[in-house]
Amino acid sequence: MREVLDNMVNLRRYRWSELFLLIMPALFIIVGMLQLTLISAHNSGASVNQITTQNLPTLDTLGPNLLLIVALLATHIALSWLIPDADQTLLPIVGMLSALGVLMATRLGPDLPTPDKNLGFRQLTWVILALGFCIGTVWATRSIRWLRLYKYSWAVAGIVLVAITLIHARSVNFDSPTHDQLNLGPSGIAFQPSELLKICLVIFYAAYLAENREMLSQGGKRFGPFSMPPLKHMMPLVALLLLSLVMFVGLRELGLALLIFGVFVSMIYLASGKLIYVFYSLGGFAVGALIAYKLFSYVRDRVLIVSDAFAPAIASNKGFQIVQGLIALGNGGILGQGFGLGHPTFVPAVQTDYVAAAVGEELGLVGLFAVIALFMLLIYRAFRIAIRSRDTFEQLLAGGIGSIFAIQTLVILAGNLKIIPLTGIPLPFITYGGSSVIANYIMVGLLLRLSSPESVD
Amino acid sequence: MSGSLSFDEFLLILRIAMIVILYLFILQVVLVARRDLRVSAALPAVNAKPVIGHLIVIDSGPTALIPGSRLDLLTSMTIGRSPTNTIVLDSTYVSGEHARIFFRDRSLWVEDMGSRNGTFLNDQRIQGAVAVKPNDILRIGEARFRFAADSREPARA
Repeated sequence: MREVLDNMVNLRRYRWSELFLLIMPALFIIVGMLQLTLISAHNSGASVNQITTQNLPTLDTLGPNLLLIVALLATHIALSWLIPDADQTLLPIVGMLSALGVLMATRLGPDLPTPDKNLGFRQLTWVILALGFCIGTVWATRSIRWLRLYKYSWAVAGIVLVAITLIHARSVNFDSPTHDQLNLGPSGIAFQPSELLKICLVIFYAAYLAENREMLSQGGKRFGPFSMPPLKHMMPLVALLLLSLVMFVGLRELGLALLIFGVFVSMIYLASGKLIYVFYSLGGFAVGALIAYKLFSYVRDRVLIVSDAFAPAIASNKGFQIVQGLIALGNGGILGQGFGLGHPTFVPAVQTDYVAAAVGEELGLVGLFAVIALFMLLIYRAFRIAIRSRDTFEQLLAGGIGSIFAIQTLVILAGNLKIIPLTGIPLPFITYGGSSVIANYIMVGLLLRLSSPESVD
Repeated sequence: MSGSLSFDEFLLILRIAMIVILYLFILQVVLVARRDLRVSAALPAVNAKPVIGHLIVIDSGPTALIPGSRLDLLTSMTIGRSPTNTIVLDSTYVSGEHARIFFRDRSLWVEDMGSRNGTFLNDQRIQGAVAVKPNDILRIGEARFRFAADSREPARA
């Protein structure tokens, strides 16, 4: 307790940079709100000869967004208490991304084909709850050792979570986009366990690889210039990877399968420093992708859509979403239509799968570039924390979390831009969705803890 | 719309403001990150061994060392022909474990490890451990080195 008070009193150690950096996200929220309010007031009344098609939020649904500023400041104060030495750029970066996410959800909600006035407020609630989870994570990992001690428990917990979804999913329609959610209670609060699986897996990989790093970097039996990977030591890793891949492909969650696989490859490379593992993994990926392509019709569909989206038969049917997304991006141009002035809701599922298209249409290429720059800064900080941490486990954990953010952003953005087959994984922090936001903030909490040089072991 | 600013103009300003805020924010983060980088560059790396001076290669003989290059002087290091040494001198005149250099009692010492051809400090063959002064010349086999002291003293453990 005394230590906590000392941290408060000691102004030199106060997180001034963080406070200073939080000004801009707050301004962004206020300007965005002002713009939406003005446009909706303008649309609803005054000018008669202007045809408007957007349904924009009214002031009473915008007001709560100010709570996000309060929540970010509260988190800032909590962090000054708990870990004054932690990285000071993380919270502002994810705060800015969340501000954009909440504003987008507020703006899109009333304009959706099935209008949902409370979409923004729900997203706001999730973000505030997630900030609580973030502080909770920082508090719970005062000693980070237990994360690593219970590594097999984490792996089992992750697998069980997804297995429950898998059993549950047998009874639902696979064509519904939310088939991988667990409905908890009658209130319709959906929960996506696969988001938590990411965290479980990255902790397990980090702990396991930290223990077996030597084995991996030495390699196993040699055949001429090639060395076989030490299979005995890699079994738990590969078994878990295959198990989760099979489950995700079974769940039709190709994006998550790709994410889990990408994190596996990144972490094994971070741990061993040997490119040979990357080549083995890519070979395995090619074989797996080919098998999936032959076995599952929905995989073939996705590939077909990407390769030939504008063919009339596809563009009006299976490729409708991707074509509308591209049109939205093109409509945005370089400077964008202006927040609240575009028509991003022509894209199906714009609030989840295609939020990048909404950003691109309304804030333009410059806005999308800014968002990508924010993700790059976030990933840069994660890898920097990895470089500076003292032991292998912490290094791998921070590097793994950075890889998750990087791969997730790449996969969904490339999917939106029709570079790779579209897979429905969320754009971190911006996409509407509770489980994703909470999982991302838990990872931010872990990064904050790992960045603090004072964390006791 | 009355007033000098029309609705559309005001909206345009707001639209530009949103983008400008995003980029200003990125600039701020980059500046904070850069300041961070400077601070951590000034601090010594966590795992680095303390360097207390340098050995400057004067004459490398048949070995792969480059004359004029500076080798870091650590608080404990060995010189010899076998590859386990800190400084490896691949020459027939150098013994497997030829000499060692270590730091003790605020001074640097050179000790001959029982080499066949001897270790010479300022052209005198040394017996046992001998304290080294800056600019002393160390000769092992055909290779010659000069000791260069760094201005700051090594951190005491």
